[in-house]
Amino acid sequence: MTAQLPGWWRMCAIGIWAAAGALIAWSLWSVAARAPVEAVMGPVQKIVYIHVPSAIVTLLAFGITFAAGIAYLATKQWIWDAVGAASCEIGMVFATVVMVTGPLWARSAWNTWWTWEPRLTTFFILWILYMGYHLVRASIRSTSRRTVSAIMGVVFFVNLPIVWKSVEWWRGSLHPRNVTMTGEMREILLLSMAAWLVFYVAVLERRLRLEWMREAALSEADAAASAAVPLKGVTA
Amino acid sequence: MTLFAVAAKDLKLHARDARYLATLVLFSAALVLILSVAFGPIFRDPAREASATVWAALFFAGILGLTRALDLEGESGGGDALRLTGSDPYALYLGKTLANFLLLAGVFVLVLPLTAIFFDVGDLRVLPALLGVAGLALIGYAAWGTLFAALARGLKARELLLSVLLFPSLVPLWIGAVKLTHALWDGGSIEPVRDWVKVMAAMDVLGLALAAWLYELLQEAGE
Repeated sequence: MTAQLPGWWRMCAIGIWAAAGALIAWSLWSVAARAPVEAVMGPVQKIVYIHVPSAIVTLLAFGITFAAGIAYLATKQWIWDAVGAASCEIGMVFATVVMVTGPLWARSAWNTWWTWEPRLTTFFILWILYMGYHLVRASIRSTSRRTVSAIMGVVFFVNLPIVWKSVEWWRGSLHPRNVTMTGEMREILLLSMAAWLVFYVAVLERRLRLEWMREAALSEADAAASAAVPLKGVTA
Repeated sequence: MTLFAVAAKDLKLHARDARYLATLVLFSAALVLILSVAFGPIFRDPAREASATVWAALFFAGILGLTRALDLEGESGGGDALRLTGSDPYALYLGKTLANFLLLAGVFVLVLPLTAIFFDVGDLRVLPALLGVAGLALIGYAAWGTLFAALARGLKARELLLSVLLFPSLVPLWIGAVKLTHALWDGGSIEPVRDWVKVMAAMDVLGLALAAWLYELLQEAGE
């Protein structure tokens, strides 16, 4: 394994970053200039174009952490540990965006910053769990770090369907069961989702590139160390 | 019969430490007392407040129990010795889960009458149904708690894993337990919230199934 990345990886990365930049610029411009101002809430309603895509990306990122956890436990290959941890880190950033934009929306729509509503509560629990994932992972220095992280990724995933279905399972939900937008609003929401999903893939690529280089440096150091230690009983 | 041997070994270790058992009993009683003072002296909805108190007290006392079980194993080197026996890892897990279940059941037997007295709730006719609810909740708590304890073994952040992350992971179980207990103490029937029995049973099966797959991997990681 060398620190040099394969050529196809670098080419893909350039393409993904270019697509992410273009899509985000286009979606932000659309939100600011094209999206209609909602009659009741006014401009605050435009938070939905950040809030909903961030929530979707969060669930996708934690879902990938789950899948990577299973793959690591089955194969014990370092790359799956790297994918799981990287995806979880990015998922945490998006989850925090959801936690910040949610109350901003709630203040305008429901006249309160926070209410113990099913989706809010279950999402907050999800945020705590995955924050704990990072704290526990950071506290492990031994070889068990990868296995423990993979198991946490699998176990904590149990909460994702609960967040998703909470609006159906519990009464008193203020979140709608489905987003029922039409026309230009729907178009811009879908564009924003596409933009942030591609951005997630781009950041994941960057994070995996770092892991690749770290792993390459470690294996080079291991190879140098084993070459420097003479075999017992062998004399020059 | 590895399962019963391991459970008996863990319970024997607990029983030898009378000071710990006394602490567990006092801690549970103090929790019920504090919560009843916090909600009282005039209770607005005694059935609701009492059901929340039982399960909050049981959760915190259970954390104390799980942490202690982990300490005992670490101090005596029992975990390493068990692995050296070459026994089926899932049988070892089930034995530990059984021991934790019995310990939690002991705490429940203490907490339940205390809460019923302090909040003046309860009816002996609903006791069998209440024990059924407690059985479902405690199986899930013991199953997931033992898995988390195995995950936390040897980690610096084990308190975080057990006390901070176990509770959110078991939210469906706690909500189900509180809702069913409330329904029993309030109206004498679980009919209005019957679906929560399925949710709790699903959490129990999921915990035991995940452990069947993951416990061996955790043991390997700990070596």
